[in-house]
Amino acid sequence: MLSESRLCLLTEDLLIRILHSLGSERKPWRLVCKDFLRLESATRKTLRVLRFEFLLPLLRKFCNIDTLDLSLCPRIHDAAVALLLAQGSPGWTRGLRRLVLSRATGLGHAGLEMLVRACPVLEAVDVSHCWGYGDREAAALSCAARLRELNMDKCLGVTDIGLAKIAVGCGQLEKLSLKWCLEISDLGIDLLCKKCLDLKYLDVSYLKVTNESLRSIASLLKLEVFVMVGCSLVDDVGLRFLEKGCPLLKAIDVSRCDCVSSSGLISVISGHEGLQQLDARYCLSELSAPLVKCLEKLKQMRIIRIDGVRVSDFILHTIGTNCKSLVELGLSKCVGVTNMGIMQLVSGCGNLKILDLTCCRFITNATISIIANCCPDLVCLKLESCDMMTENCLYQLGLNCLLLEELDLTDCSGVDDLALRYLSKCSELIRLKLGLCTNITDIGLAHIACNCPKMTELDLYRCVRIGDDGLAALTSGCKKLTKLNLSYCNRISDRGMDYISHLGELSDLELRGLSNITSIGIRAVAVSCKRLADLDLKHCEKIDDSGFGALAFFSQNLRQVSYTLVLLSLNQVILILSLMRSKSHSSAAFESKLQHLLYKNYKCYLNEHN
Amino acid sequence: MDPKGSLCANSTRSSSLTSPVNALQTNFPSDPSSFYGVRIETPFKEFNLPSPPTQSVLPGEPNKDIMIPDQENCPLSDMSHASKLQDWNPSAMLNNLSFLEEKIHQLRDLVHLIVNKKCQPFGQPHELVTQEQQLVTADLTSIIVQLISSAGSLLPSVRHTLTNTNPLVGQLDQLHGINLPFGSDSSSGLRSQNNSGNKLLDQSTQNDPPNNCEMEQNYNMEEHEPKDEEDIDEGEHLPPGSYEILQLEKEEILAPHTHFCTICGKGFKRDANLRMHMRGHGDEYKTPAALAKPHKETGSEPKLIKRYSCPYAGCKRNKDHKKFQPLKTILCVKNHYKRTHCDKSYTCSRCNTKKFSVMADLKTHEKHCGKDKWLCSCGTTFSRKDKLFGHIALFQGHTPAIPLDDTKGVAEPPDLQNRESNNSVGSNNFCFGSNPSSENAVQNMMDVKGNIDDPMNYFSSLNFEGCNFGGFNEFSQPPFEDSEGSFSFLMSGSFNYAPKFGGGESSSDNLL
Repeated sequence: MLSESRLCLLTEDLLIRILHSLGSERKPWRLVCKDFLRLESATRKTLRVLRFEFLLPLLRKFCNIDTLDLSLCPRIHDAAVALLLAQGSPGWTRGLRRLVLSRATGLGHAGLEMLVRACPVLEAVDVSHCWGYGDREAAALSCAARLRELNMDKCLGVTDIGLAKIAVGCGQLEKLSLKWCLEISDLGIDLLCKKCLDLKYLDVSYLKVTNESLRSIASLLKLEVFVMVGCSLVDDVGLRFLEKGCPLLKAIDVSRCDCVSSSGLISVISGHEGLQQLDARYCLSELSAPLVKCLEKLKQMRIIRIDGVRVSDFILHTIGTNCKSLVELGLSKCVGVTNMGIMQLVSGCGNLKILDLTCCRFITNATISIIANCCPDLVCLKLESCDMMTENCLYQLGLNCLLLEELDLTDCSGVDDLALRYLSKCSELIRLKLGLCTNITDIGLAHIACNCPKMTELDLYRCVRIGDDGLAALTSGCKKLTKLNLSYCNRISDRGMDYISHLGELSDLELRGLSNITSIGIRAVAVSCKRLADLDLKHCEKIDDSGFGALAFFSQNLRQVSYTLVLLSLNQVILILSLMRSKSHSSAAFESKLQHLLYKNYKCYLNEHN
Repeated sequence: MDPKGSLCANSTRSSSLTSPVNALQTNFPSDPSSFYGVRIETPFKEFNLPSPPTQSVLPGEPNKDIMIPDQENCPLSDMSHASKLQDWNPSAMLNNLSFLEEKIHQLRDLVHLIVNKKCQPFGQPHELVTQEQQLVTADLTSIIVQLISSAGSLLPSVRHTLTNTNPLVGQLDQLHGINLPFGSDSSSGLRSQNNSGNKLLDQSTQNDPPNNCEMEQNYNMEEHEPKDEEDIDEGEHLPPGSYEILQLEKEEILAPHTHFCTICGKGFKRDANLRMHMRGHGDEYKTPAALAKPHKETGSEPKLIKRYSCPYAGCKRNKDHKKFQPLKTILCVKNHYKRTHCDKSYTCSRCNTKKFSVMADLKTHEKHCGKDKWLCSCGTTFSRKDKLFGHIALFQGHTPAIPLDDTKGVAEPPDLQNRESNNSVGSNNFCFGSNPSSENAVQNMMDVKGNIDDPMNYFSSLNFEGCNFGGFNEFSQPPFEDSEGSFSFLMSGSFNYAPKFGGGESSSDNLL
């Protein structure tokens, strides 16, 4: 009562500001305070629904949303949409601008059309990974005439016809992603480029388009970002069209385009000296001398990713001396990266934030120390398989790169407890990968746990010396963990599972090959970790029916469970499946997966009994 | 092959032409006809066929050759001119030739003089020699010019392409042929070569219409605007008066039969059929002469190129029209008249909307009717996807329409139907799965047959676009299966397969 009266003194404006500054802590406030509840329902803009069943009451409450995310409700279907639009106060559709229907495979074209037509100001729709979507669904989407952004990744059934529908219906489209829409051909792209002249972002990755499409795309005057990963039918001739066209082009991605060579990239670069981002991963074997010469012109370049290319010290030197504003450099799996090359690079590029040196095996401590000294803004550093480095370089890193958020040390055998102690100075760490670092123990983990409270993702794959005590420290320090990989950390037992159950945010847990955990531990996790969505239990041989029963019963949000080679009786599997089907919101695809697993298990069962 | 042959012949001749005087003297006794004969006769067997004995024809020849003073010069060539080239002015030609002959005689005398002088080694002022040379060249030039002009009138029907490619050579051939007494053979041969080449060309273009008209029909379907097949020959620009204009009467055009038996009155569409029929009227009609094609015998008579006029007054194809464009064959006349000036009495039994006045057009249409599965929101249909997309790009607000084929498995998710119909691009059966399968099969059979009958059609890209060959449907099946196999890793699910395979079977049912 007391607190409420105090809050009454504040005006609504102030309360709203308080609410906004609360951030993710809003939930307890709105649960105990009516004012906050009222305010939040009035001001909340985004809604991401975990369970479809709650959608209707939620939409009644929050009718001022502009973003609705149904990507976790794959079972939403046409009839449900009809119900929503009929029963729920239609107010919520009035202001809806953004609709996320990723993986909402249950929705058909009729429901989609109803939804789209009900939202008059809809500007962005995401239907990615709705693999069943075809031309009818595309036609339904084309009813949204004000659409500006559309993501259709992996809508496998969409053909040129569907694309034509969208191109004609949504003439104001600015951002369009057609990745993996494998049926779309040059004709559709050509029409798109004739109808949607405002396109700024276009992704045609993995389409079977040819140079003709690039000829059409070159006519887009406003295009800024063009992504064509894995277009193996496009070659240098196509890129030459871009040289003259797309005057505003800022970013191009030609990764995995097998037929593209240096000369094609040269033509693109020479036509667009304002280029800011160049992705050419795994498409060139090496950078030709003229291309390197061309790179000198790119003074505004911010992001270069040339994974898998043979580089030389000279190339890195050229990049370092010319691309002063470089923010991200990807050299993953590049051959020829040496200490000298990296030193010359970072001495010029002091603004680097992201540096990917995955599998650059000749990198040593000295280089990483220089990186740490030269690039104080570093946010992400990937050093997977750089096994010549030791703990000393992490000392430098911990000293200088205090903004570091992501560090990949997978398979760096030089990392030990001392290294983690140095590293723990980077208190901003969010993602840390320590897979295959077999030398770290509970002590090192405790250093991290104590000093990096923002950690959300931690990979401890095959860190075999980690035990339950380490988990105890981890779960007390890193409360925000959402993703945890403990596969093959064999010393972990049910006690460790108990600690894990304290991680309320955990959604993704890998426990593969943990032979010491039993159903009791799994039950503890299932009961407490309400957000658990993906769980890997392969080769956890001691988990039996009761553990899975608990999972089926308690883990309402579970989306994917991997459990091959787990001893289960057929009856129990059927029980679990029926429970999961009735309680969870699993999609059609998920059900099919479970059925598939059921079949596999059934075969195992038969084998056992014969 | 014709231009090549003539070129090759030309090269030998033009080399001899560089020194015509020498040629006159050296080639005179030799007999080049055999030499040329090989070249002339082998490539054009057709030319051999009608070849009547020259003597037998000569008497039938009008008095032209009598007028030609130099008999050895070119009776044969003239004759062949006459037989092959119908439209030229004989009297003007005669004047030209006699003028030329005079010139040549003068020149010969002059050269003789020079040769004789050359035998005397001394007393030859240099000036005189050059003067004489200039005289000779001037004479030669005038002869050549004259020859070219007369040859130009000789070769009215030579294709522009032929003359344009190397006009001079072609004309020089004429010159050479006249210069050489025995070479006249070759020149006539050459001319006939050219002519037969033209004939071949002409024939091919005349044979074209059925094919062309079919292809045009395809276009028609897309453009929904019937076009006359006669438009094809618009490239031909015959000077007015260079051909004979025939105008059939309306009744004649529309008559079902054009050849009637003089004995019993029975009508036939083709003369050959009539001749076959005539055999039954007596033995006198069974002789090879009676059974042979009649125009072969009269082929040697001088004939103008025949062109036809449409009897409909005001028609562009009518001879009184300002921009008259003649029709090439009787068939063209018939088709033109029916298409343009008659009712469209044949209605397509499938769509019941398209009407035709020529039966063949209807049949062509029926072959493709129902194939226009690329549909625009405005109701226009297209047989080809790119045509549809071109249409959509052109018109504001038009979108492709998605056909409602709910005939197939209802349990099937709609996307799969879509994908199937997309995979089976060009195969009619998928889209019209509701059709009775037997009908489809029959249609396929018909199509295959029709296409084989007409090789041009069989290979024309237009037909491939809408390929409806029975065999092709079978080929289109496996990729569809394959593609699903490749998608299977993307679609995490096994239960979906059952309906899919069901769909596949149903479509294969349609195939068989």
